[in-house]
Amino acid sequence: MLYIHQSYCISPQQTFMNVDWNVLHEAMDNKLKVVEPAYENIPRNVLRRMGKSVRIGVGAAFPIINEIKNIAGIIIGTATAGKEDSFTFLKQVMDYDEGLLTPTNFVQSTSNAIAAQIGMLSANKFYNITHVHKGLAFENAMFDAAMQLKENPQHDYLLGGVDEISDDDFNLNNLAGWYKKEIVSNKDLYESNSSGSLAGEGSAMFLINDKKENAAAKVVAIKTLFTKDEEEIKQQTKELISENKIDVFISGENGDNRLQRFYNACESLLEEDIAIVHFKHLCGEYPTTTAFATFLACDILQKQSIPNIVIKKSTDKTSFGNILIYNNYQGEQHSFILISKA
Amino acid sequence: METVELKEVLKKQIIEFLNLRDLKPEDIKNAEPLFGEGLGLDSIDSLELIVLLQREYGISIKDPKEGRKVLVDINTMADYIEKNRTK
Repeated sequence: MLYIHQSYCISPQQTFMNVDWNVLHEAMDNKLKVVEPAYENIPRNVLRRMGKSVRIGVGAAFPIINEIKNIAGIIIGTATAGKEDSFTFLKQVMDYDEGLLTPTNFVQSTSNAIAAQIGMLSANKFYNITHVHKGLAFENAMFDAAMQLKENPQHDYLLGGVDEISDDDFNLNNLAGWYKKEIVSNKDLYESNSSGSLAGEGSAMFLINDKKENAAAKVVAIKTLFTKDEEEIKQQTKELISENKIDVFISGENGDNRLQRFYNACESLLEEDIAIVHFKHLCGEYPTTTAFATFLACDILQKQSIPNIVIKKSTDKTSFGNILIYNNYQGEQHSFILISKA
Repeated sequence: METVELKEVLKKQIIEFLNLRDLKPEDIKNAEPLFGEGLGLDSIDSLELIVLLQREYGISIKDPKEGRKVLVDINTMADYIEKNRTK
């Protein structure tokens, strides 16, 4: 079993260290950008070279790697990684006709730069891997972590999901119709009734192991599938809710009216007393939003309370044991994560 | 370009190339060592500075010994640029 012991999240909201769900930071130009901390523990010479995804990845991981010295592996899910640096590097290749290029942008742009920097800053020479499966990158990292724990029980692992907004990536996804054409406030995201969503970014890091004692939550099931058929999603939801008594359903709905049918299909199967929660008005849409949802699930389970800001449908229940997260990315990559009280 | 003006431009370029966000041009003294105790730059920065000289001034440094003599402080860099620039 995969137990979550610590969780840290840098997001567009106040979620790092002093979590405050009462204030909603608003989107600017359809982008929800992260609120970055001061990164006081990261050496300035190292920090100035870091791209945003590396900064927020290392920043969220730092409290864990600072405290736990013998982490057996660093397992990160990211789809975009350092896209801003990738584009900067590619522009240099064009501008200088493949001539003399600076090393920093290239080093920061590779997908594994986040896990590598965390490893270097913590002098960790063990398992270090990055999963890049687009909208299922975090879920695949979670699968990997579960398999690692099965092979190496009694070890601690760092699991994380990180993605950033870059200008060029935003433009490309905007042209592909994944962001809203009209300016929409994140306050009105779910009522917008148009295609596309708001761009988002964030980083969530978890200390995991197979020890129940003092754990904040446990991951009971992870399911991923690739489909465009909501009947398949309905079938998977039926199986999960028949096998587990769900208290809270966390929906990954993102205000895109083309994708709402998947979320409606799931919600139509839920019993009346199950609370429904949504979160993408807080973090926007990006490939590893389920890391944010996992952080939110841990927060609900630990505090035994659902923040008002995420409630779509409330419940009379006063204790929460099982939380089911359902998310889809761009209508094709779907995932379910079942998280329970430890 | 006058030497004084060149040094000011060079400081701005160093701040931009090396992403020294906390510094302003006036914070960098002309005789302050770039590496070690001064600005505290490191080996990756020296590569970035060599790229800066090539791109902005058309100067190609191929001999590491020459690089060590040039990349000492703002004064040595400006002197070298004045004598060797091709653009």
